[in-house]
Amino acid sequence: MSSIKRLVLDLMKPNEIENVEFARTIAGMDGVDGVNASLLESDKKVQNLKLTIEGEAIDDGEITNTIENLGGTVHSVDEVACGDRLVEESPTHQD
Amino acid sequence: MPSRIETYRNLLRDENVRSISRRYFISNGFDGTLTCIGIIVGSFLGGSQSAMEIVRVVAGGTVGLAASGVWSVWEIERAEKLAELKRVEEKMLTDLEGTKLHDQKGAARKVNAAMSGLGPTIGMLLPIAPYFLVGVALSILWATVLGVAIGVGILFAFGAYMGGISEQNWVIAGVRTGAVGIVVGAINIVLPG
Repeated sequence: MSSIKRLVLDLMKPNEIENVEFARTIAGMDGVDGVNASLLESDKKVQNLKLTIEGEAIDDGEITNTIENLGGTVHSVDEVACGDRLVEESPTHQD
Repeated sequence: MPSRIETYRNLLRDENVRSISRRYFISNGFDGTLTCIGIIVGSFLGGSQSAMEIVRVVAGGTVGLAASGVWSVWEIERAEKLAELKRVEEKMLTDLEGTKLHDQKGAARKVNAAMSGLGPTIGMLLPIAPYFLVGVALSILWATVLGVAIGVGILFAFGAYMGGISEQNWVIAGVRTGAVGIVVGAINIVLPG
């Protein structure tokens, strides 16, 4: 099975758990080389985050579990890149 | 996973946890100190109790107030934190039981309850320290005077601390709270009987 090199997730999390904590925890996981956490939307109690995770062999199941243990929920998987090399999204005529 | 000590260290850095703990600590510490001043002045004026009897009465009161502080805050914070969690769960449309947020709130409740019990324990036990020197270096009158002075000092420290965190003049804030101790002692003296 080919390994996941990049995973972009849209997730919701409670405000009380800091964005830094999400980024740090996931960045410390096996197979993950780096994480970017961007705030998409902020409410009184919850926030929407876009997490861009890159690494040699990202375990998507473990990532989801970790996010849920921290109190977050994954809304959608917005981008996945798998295989031996990282492939960027290709522009199409519709774009 | 962070160790338990690390979790509590992080919690003590959390301004929300510190702020709630501080309120319980000072509020219950105030109750304890003023109760202690009332007991020692009243017992001295009664004139029939020995130093160790006064210590026993205050120690009994300490157990009562500390237990009340811990127990009440444990229950209050359980309800408050569960309500907070439910509000977040409604927004998230998910159950947060067993998550870090849930554990964090449980640990914060323990810190809040411990600080709530610590306030009256300090406020009641420190002023009775001079009674252990009665018969050795102090008379019961001087032990009472010193006890009231320690109580007033604790109240001053509470006020000065609050003045410090709210960026007021800490001396004036301390004098304002310390004066209550003197007022309580004075009321006991002028009370009939």
